[in-house]
Amino acid sequence: MSTADLSIAEMGRALRAGIVTSAQLTRDALDRIATHDPKLNAFVLLTPERALADAQRADAERKAGTDRGPFHGIPYALKDIYDTGGIRTTCHSKLRLDNIPAEDSAVAAKFTAAGGVLLGKLATHEFALGGPSFDLPFPPARNPWNPAHVTGGSSSGSATAIAARMVRMAMGSDTGGSIRGPAAWCGLAGIKPTYGRVSRRGVFPLSWTLDHCGPLSRSVEDSAIALGVIAGHDPADAASADVPVGDYLADLNKGAAGLRVGIPRGFFQDAQAATQDVLAAIDRTADQLRAAGATVEDIELPDYAIFAAAGRIVMMAEAYAIHAADMRKRLLDYGEITANRFVLGATIGAADYIDALRARREMTDAVNSVLGRYDVLLTASALCTAPRFDASVDALSLAAPMQTMPFNLTGHPAMSVPVGLGFDGLPVGVQIVGRAFDEATVFRASRAVEVLSGWESVALPV
Amino acid sequence: MPSLDEHAAEFDMLMRRAGLTVPEQRRATVLASYADFRGQMDLLRGRYAHTTEPANVFRVPPMGGAT
Repeated sequence: MSTADLSIAEMGRALRAGIVTSAQLTRDALDRIATHDPKLNAFVLLTPERALADAQRADAERKAGTDRGPFHGIPYALKDIYDTGGIRTTCHSKLRLDNIPAEDSAVAAKFTAAGGVLLGKLATHEFALGGPSFDLPFPPARNPWNPAHVTGGSSSGSATAIAARMVRMAMGSDTGGSIRGPAAWCGLAGIKPTYGRVSRRGVFPLSWTLDHCGPLSRSVEDSAIALGVIAGHDPADAASADVPVGDYLADLNKGAAGLRVGIPRGFFQDAQAATQDVLAAIDRTADQLRAAGATVEDIELPDYAIFAAAGRIVMMAEAYAIHAADMRKRLLDYGEITANRFVLGATIGAADYIDALRARREMTDAVNSVLGRYDVLLTASALCTAPRFDASVDALSLAAPMQTMPFNLTGHPAMSVPVGLGFDGLPVGVQIVGRAFDEATVFRASRAVEVLSGWESVALPV
Repeated sequence: MPSLDEHAAEFDMLMRRAGLTVPEQRRATVLASYADFRGQMDLLRGRYAHTTEPANVFRVPPMGGAT
């Protein structure tokens, strides 16, 4: 078996047993990147010297008897909106090509402290919104399942790198679905944790009250391990929650028996963008959960359009507040898609923003109420498989196929899990949503879905 | 519902107020996005009575412990 197919837990066991070294894992990853990335564009910056130094340090520490935990010596990569001290961080934008942060983001610092090996910085849609685009300083990442198709965004390079087996886990960010969308369209696991669970310090904001940091990975277990490394209170992040971090692995393989699962069928059943293969995948997943001992029932939530409208208004208003000064001076330095989306923020009135915040409270109360009766919700991640580059639409428009924004608006933890292939041979994912700060149950349910779907036997494309 | 011309006039006024200049060759695309976005804003306009408070009105837990 190639080291590229070892899970994070398996890599950890092999490292501890002396079967493999971190330096070898790192060289293997760099070799795969050199082979595949010229056609897929996952990385905007490779850091091989840093990676090999991290790996050699991890190997030396292990030899000396120091074990920093499950991420010690494991290669990973960061979306290029995460500050990395002394390493260029561009947001995939001409506006920040010369930006070299002095300090690590909180997440980067946590991975360093845990002994992680940083391979490099990954492509994103510009400022985590504008893409896929061909008028930016770096080309857009391509979907390894079919490079003529998009990965979804904005954590595009993260998804490409994992699906092409260059790295097992990479960090994304999710403001309206930017972790779960690419995860769904590239056959990966990806979790948007509860708002406040992971520090946003040192991550360039798109929308302060919707931004979430989280991992994408090959498996649910990989994401559970990664979140265990980065979760926790950070007094330097105003939105960070001082809530104890659970053990995300303890109940991971407990199965579906006894879980109460609600399906907000009104979200997706009659949606214009919904395809039969995605709808069938949700029904199949529900049947598998039922057969495994879960209670699965349809539930009612407010109209999806209200969640989507409130989320988009909040996002565009906050993004415009961040970019207004630069847009007045340098609008044409943004990519065309980015600029076309950001200018909409200038059209939002104060009452529109407040109405979106009123909707936010109403929607959050509604989801909390349902989750008083159910452990998790099961819904679509995306309503269709990944479109071709020449057929993609604004992920925030009324016609958008993503079903992720509601839980950015409400802050609940939500994970996309792959469950099979669509009619076109591209991956289909479903979304599992849990109670605030109950990521452990989200992981448990997602792992059950991953096992029941048989996804682990699906061959990856690269 | 406003006509396309009214949308365009409104959009132009809002861009002028914001000090932004959308290049002419992008105007049709942005106007289409604005019509879509304006439809979403209309969904929420008038939806709530004065009793509905926004999410940033804080719910302070009672002294001595969380709710």
